[in-house]
Amino acid sequence: MIEPFKVATAAGTSAETLVLLTSAILFSIGTLGLLLRRNPMAILMSVELLLNSANLVLVLAAHKHGYVDAQSAALIVLVLGAAEAVIGLALALALFRNRASTDIDEPNEVQG
Amino acid sequence: MNLLAWAFLFPLPGLLLTAFGRSRHAGVASLLGPIAIAIAGLIFMLSDHTPILVQIDGWLPVLPDSAFLLRLDGLAAVMLVVVGGVSACVYVYSLSYMAGDRGRRRFFCLLDFFVTVMTLLVLAGNLVVLLAGWAGVGLASFLLISFWREKSHTLGAGLQAIAANAIGDAALLLAIVMLPKGSSDLTLLQNGVPLVSGGASTLATLIVIAASAKSAQGILYFWLPSAMAGPTPVSALIHAATMVAAGVYLLVRTSPMLALAPEVLHALAWLGAITALLSGLASLSQQNYKRGLAYSTCSQLGYMFAAIGFGAPFAALFHLVTHAAFKALLFLCAGAVIHAAHGEEELPKLAGMRKQLPQICVLALIGSLALCGLPVLTAGAFSKDLIIEAGLSSSTLPASLLVLSVFLTGLYTGRLYFGVFGATTGDEPQHDLHAPDQLMVRSMWPLAAGAILLGWAGMPLARLLQNAPKDLAIHAVSMNGLLIGALGMTGFGAAFIWQRATKGRARLASFGIDWVPGAAAASRHLALAFAALHNGRLGLYLFTAVLGVALILLMAFGRMG
Repeated sequence: MIEPFKVATAAGTSAETLVLLTSAILFSIGTLGLLLRRNPMAILMSVELLLNSANLVLVLAAHKHGYVDAQSAALIVLVLGAAEAVIGLALALALFRNRASTDIDEPNEVQG
Repeated sequence: MNLLAWAFLFPLPGLLLTAFGRSRHAGVASLLGPIAIAIAGLIFMLSDHTPILVQIDGWLPVLPDSAFLLRLDGLAAVMLVVVGGVSACVYVYSLSYMAGDRGRRRFFCLLDFFVTVMTLLVLAGNLVVLLAGWAGVGLASFLLISFWREKSHTLGAGLQAIAANAIGDAALLLAIVMLPKGSSDLTLLQNGVPLVSGGASTLATLIVIAASAKSAQGILYFWLPSAMAGPTPVSALIHAATMVAAGVYLLVRTSPMLALAPEVLHALAWLGAITALLSGLASLSQQNYKRGLAYSTCSQLGYMFAAIGFGAPFAALFHLVTHAAFKALLFLCAGAVIHAAHGEEELPKLAGMRKQLPQICVLALIGSLALCGLPVLTAGAFSKDLIIEAGLSSSTLPASLLVLSVFLTGLYTGRLYFGVFGATTGDEPQHDLHAPDQLMVRSMWPLAAGAILLGWAGMPLARLLQNAPKDLAIHAVSMNGLLIGALGMTGFGAAFIWQRATKGRARLASFGIDWVPGAAAASRHLALAFAALHNGRLGLYLFTAVLGVALILLMAFGRMG
């Protein structure tokens, strides 16, 4: 099995902390981007960040507990992310073609 | 004999002949159905009264009680005669009333459909089959209320009926689901099925809700006055004599089970008494002739509900039978008057009909007196007296409300009668009348005979039923009966004086307790409040989603820490 977490630090536990910390930072960046940006491309990128930060934790846990299933789950998330990006990009493209602006809050004609 | 239990299929040949036949007199063939149904009921009454059962197992395997069960017993036979008899009169009447209508063929087909499902409801041997008929009559009611599609308001009125009926259907469906396996059989219910403890009052409440939706009781009254938008024969058959009585029929059927929940019975007595009183008052403020009669129907159904609450289901059934005769008669008279006045329904414009329609005037007088309860001579007195006697001996307070309603009954009946047929003042508009033909008038004679004579049918009726009280005594003349009759006639007389004093414009100022528009406005406001959340701002949606996730995480950590 590939072991990507053999980081050259003194103890193995601090490598796990590092991965968890990276994941948390990625997740926070993704959430903030989701909330603060108005551009659909930026929002899509933020969603990718969210997915990948979750993936990171998944792979870490799989490695720690020795579950191969969880690693395959991480692969599924990657595929899902790709599919989501395709649909999201298509929507963003349609939005650009129909309107001059790139503000995601502007199209709200179908509101209740 | 087993064939009799299939009586609900009897209108089918007539239905097919009316729908696809080439006859110029569409609808004549349909008449076979109701007559056959009434005869089926009569044959059973003349036989040895052993209940006829038809059972087909595995009809709807998904349900706890999957059998298709039909049951013809004394109670069902009485209802068959009522449904068949009143429908036969109304069919004959409609042949003349709807003669010039383009949708005449459709009208008779719908009536046939109604008679079929109503008979299925009556003959049902378990609650599942009963529900099929129950929902069917609701649908037939909607289709017939909205029959004149080109008139405004008819669709709205029909939808109101559907809405109220849906509440009743849902309650009955819940009751079926609640019942333990294999006990939705009506005979088990009739003998008081041993239920899971605490279940009896919930079950009884559900059945009462179902019945009050069908019979326009309590706050579910609203659809019945609106239902008058339909053709008048429909009002007479469905919204006076048969369908609205289906609620009472269900309560009579299940009365031994209801007896297991005394608090529900008590509430039922109050529900009936208050409905009787308030709708009596509401009738006094109506400008429209048919709506005035509709509130009177609510009021009389209130008497029947109260009777079941008093633990006297036989009195309720007896009043159902007599009421079917005289109220159908009153509606048919109203139809004749409205027909003669070219569709005019407003009271002051209908005044002075006595000279122009003398026969209708006499028939309406018979119906009105039966409704007021003229002792000995009319049927209404017998049954109303029986209900009030039962009430006075069990729960006095609701019964005294009913006594008060007797006076109101006289007053509103008199107001309607003298408003239309009363002495003329000479300044009312002269009608270019469209006089009813003999067919129309003759179709009312059997109902008039019923309104006079059915009171004497009480004792034979009681012998037909298995659980009628053994010591039942129906007196033609009794002290209480005479007093109650006198009270009703006082109201009738007071109405005469009132109408004379106001020159035929007697009317109570309307008092608004109409909750339906309020409920509609409230749900609209609620919908608008929630719609404000859907403002199309993606940022806001995302923010709420993230906030939600954060809250869930916080709660989870709180739980762990």
